[in-house]
Amino acid sequence: MLQIKCPWCGLRDETEYKYGGQAHVAYPEDPAALSDEEWAQYLFFRDNPKGPFAERWVHSGGCRKWFNAVRDTRTYEVLAVYTNNDPRPEISPEITATGVAAGGQ
Amino acid sequence: MADLTTLQGLRRSPLQDMAAELRNGSVQGDRAVLLREWPFLTMVNIRVEPGSETAGRIEGVLGASLPQQCGDVTGDGAHSVLWLGPDEWLVISQAAPESLVGSLQSAAEGGRAQIVDVSANRTVVEVTGPGAREVLEKGCPTDLHPRAFADNTAISTSLARVPVLLWKVDANTFRVMPRASLASYVGVWLLDAVAEFGPRASAVEGV
Amino acid sequence: MANSMPGEHPEWLWRDPDPKSSYDAVVIGGGGHGLATAYYLAKNHGMTNIAILEKGWLAGGNMARNTTIIRSNYLWDESAAIYEHALKLWEQLPEELDYDFLFSQRGVLNLAHSLQDVRDSVRRVEANRLNGVDAEWLTAEEVAKVCPIINISPDVRYPVLGATYQPRAGIAKHDHVAWAFARACDAMGVDIIQNCEVTGFIKDGNRVTGVETTRGRILSDTVGMVAAGHSSVLAEKAGFRLPVQSHPLQALVSELYEPVHPTVVMSNYVHVYVSQAHKGELVMGAGVDQYNGYGQRGSFHVIEHQMAAALELFPIFGRAHLLRTWGGIVDVCPDASPIIGATPVDGLYVNAGWGTGGFKATPAAGWVMAHTMATGESHELNQPFGLERFTTGHLIDEHGAAGVAH
Ligand SMILES: Cc1cc2nc3c(=O)[nH]c(=O)nc-3n(C[C@H](O)[C@H](O)[C@H](O)COP(=O)(O)OP(=O)(O)OC[C@H]3O[C@@H](n4cnc5c(N)ncnc54)[C@H](O)[C@@H]3O)c2cc1C
Ligand SMILES: [Zn+2]
Repeated sequence: MLQIKCPWCGLRDETEYKYGGQAHVAYPEDPAALSDEEWAQYLFFRDNPKGPFAERWVHSGGCRKWFNAVRDTRTYEVLAVYTNNDPRPEISPEITATGVAAGGQ
Repeated sequence: MADLTTLQGLRRSPLQDMAAELRNGSVQGDRAVLLREWPFLTMVNIRVEPGSETAGRIEGVLGASLPQQCGDVTGDGAHSVLWLGPDEWLVISQAAPESLVGSLQSAAEGGRAQIVDVSANRTVVEVTGPGAREVLEKGCPTDLHPRAFADNTAISTSLARVPVLLWKVDANTFRVMPRASLASYVGVWLLDAVAEFGPRASAVEGV
Repeated sequence: MANSMPGEHPEWLWRDPDPKSSYDAVVIGGGGHGLATAYYLAKNHGMTNIAILEKGWLAGGNMARNTTIIRSNYLWDESAAIYEHALKLWEQLPEELDYDFLFSQRGVLNLAHSLQDVRDSVRRVEANRLNGVDAEWLTAEEVAKVCPIINISPDVRYPVLGATYQPRAGIAKHDHVAWAFARACDAMGVDIIQNCEVTGFIKDGNRVTGVETTRGRILSDTVGMVAAGHSSVLAEKAGFRLPVQSHPLQALVSELYEPVHPTVVMSNYVHVYVSQAHKGELVMGAGVDQYNGYGQRGSFHVIEHQMAAALELFPIFGRAHLLRTWGGIVDVCPDASPIIGATPVDGLYVNAGWGTGGFKATPAAGWVMAHTMATGESHELNQPFGLERFTTGHLIDEHGAAGVAH
């Protein structure tokens, strides 16, 4: 079970949260102007990295707010949480490196 | 116009049919836990930008500030205000809902706010006694130890997997607020959960 | 082997060759699908100067971790065609590969617990029949005849209202399937190269000409990516994206028990599926963990939930002991259907996105992937499953039939 620190409510169990996939995917400015390929990219294609991933979570069992987290998809370690108004934080390579060590593989 | 007084008379609380069961199923002794529904409290949901002028006017009506942090509860008079989110609160009160909602709505007029009577959404189950915390700990993922969960704190969490608001009034007094449709499940769960804490009230009183 | 010396290793089923500098085709990924692809490249297309490159040990990914349910009762024509092709191949493979991998056609029940569930299920039965897939609708009483230990009492939260039944469905021993394919590939001259991770692609313009690996550069004009959970990682190295997300998918087994469970039972609604392996373990699984993850492990509450569902359906499991749990990495597509076909890079083909349910398709996936790699054209069975469906909008939504994972 993950434990995730909601920016407003603090550390809570994963069961209080719902996952929202990749963060920072903007709705197209002018959807009608997109080609079918571009629209498909927006609609169906998301990054799926093995390593730090900026992703959305909603604290559905708590304050019901959406926020972002950077989490290492190898170790599941949550490296940072931040609100939708904050920019994606820099994740230093050392943090990532320990993440890997902790999780094996 | 419907006759409100008649309607009030017809109103049924979510745990009305379990009143006796909760009373008789409560346990006594060193680790006593008493279960009881507190029905028909007025509940008003407020959404507004904290610190805004509108928020200020709303606070004026409530006679309390809108709490700023998860867990905080304000108001020691007629109305208690629970933090639900950074821009969302729940007022719990014994005032009549029409008048409270009315004055809050007038206060919010012209500003950006949402005031909704949600009195029928949840009911309150009071869990009191020296065993209260331990019983809740059986089904609540949040750390309820006093070092982490102070008196007069209220949070959204879950009990036996269903979402509830949990308001700790003092060390031995908790208010569990499930949605109406889940209330009887919570009641049944609590009745089962208290069993190991002492003899049932029914056994002691010979009901 | 009764007469082997202590410590002596039994006969190897396949060689352990060093990679050659070039091949006519390479298959990345030595799971079930990679093995089947190589097998049919050699058998159906006469391509034997080929290699399977596997970063770990043979079939140590999802092939080692799945719950081995085999069935073909999917809703849409495209899916029924490919999964039924697989089922027909399963029916002949033990003999063809001369390997008894315990393929047991003990049937599968997909339970319905609500009126909408019933309607959907009956619809699927009818669709299956139109596609020549064996399918029946059973009432709750008939369900209990097939599987007496299911609780069909109306007095539970989600009573069993009936089930679809596919008698030809079943289970097989997954590791034996892998070994059977590996031995047959090896016999035809296919190099199975383990501990060989593909780390990059060599390209001439937009054409693939080889791969970089942890065991050196290997040239080939025809490359198939069959990497399941790691498909996106490889695609990124090749310079394109796939519409898949990698999730942990867990399963578990109980201790060994006497035979109590004669079939396979799945319930999308209460979210669990159960069979009993030949050895006697109850094998159970449920849905994916919600987050992306390459850790081959998931969260405990998912297991707790699936156990609760299992207990509701099978009160008899109340005293059963959990033996172990594990997880794999499944690559999930938005429409719960796979991607098999060309990629934006010439000569590079992909088989991915089987998500929670690709074991059952192993032979057919290999069959059509081999065809695609050998001829440069999709087989009619995988033609609808190309990447372009995400642009044309012709999705093949199998969420209903894919249901509870697997
Ligand atoms: C818990 C669980 C239960 C399941 N239950 C069922 C079920 O009941 N029925 C069903 O039909 N399906 C089931 N599935 C799904 C099924 O296991 C998969 O769809 C299927 O195994 C995927 O194909 P594969 O066998 O080729 O994958 P894998 O065995 O995962 O093979 C992919 C291989 O690629 C290798 N690889 C990755 N990257 C590289 C690289 N860069 N270089 C070299 N090699 C690489 C990996 O090491 C791996 O061995 C289940 C899956 C899981 C996890
Ligand atoms: Zn929160």
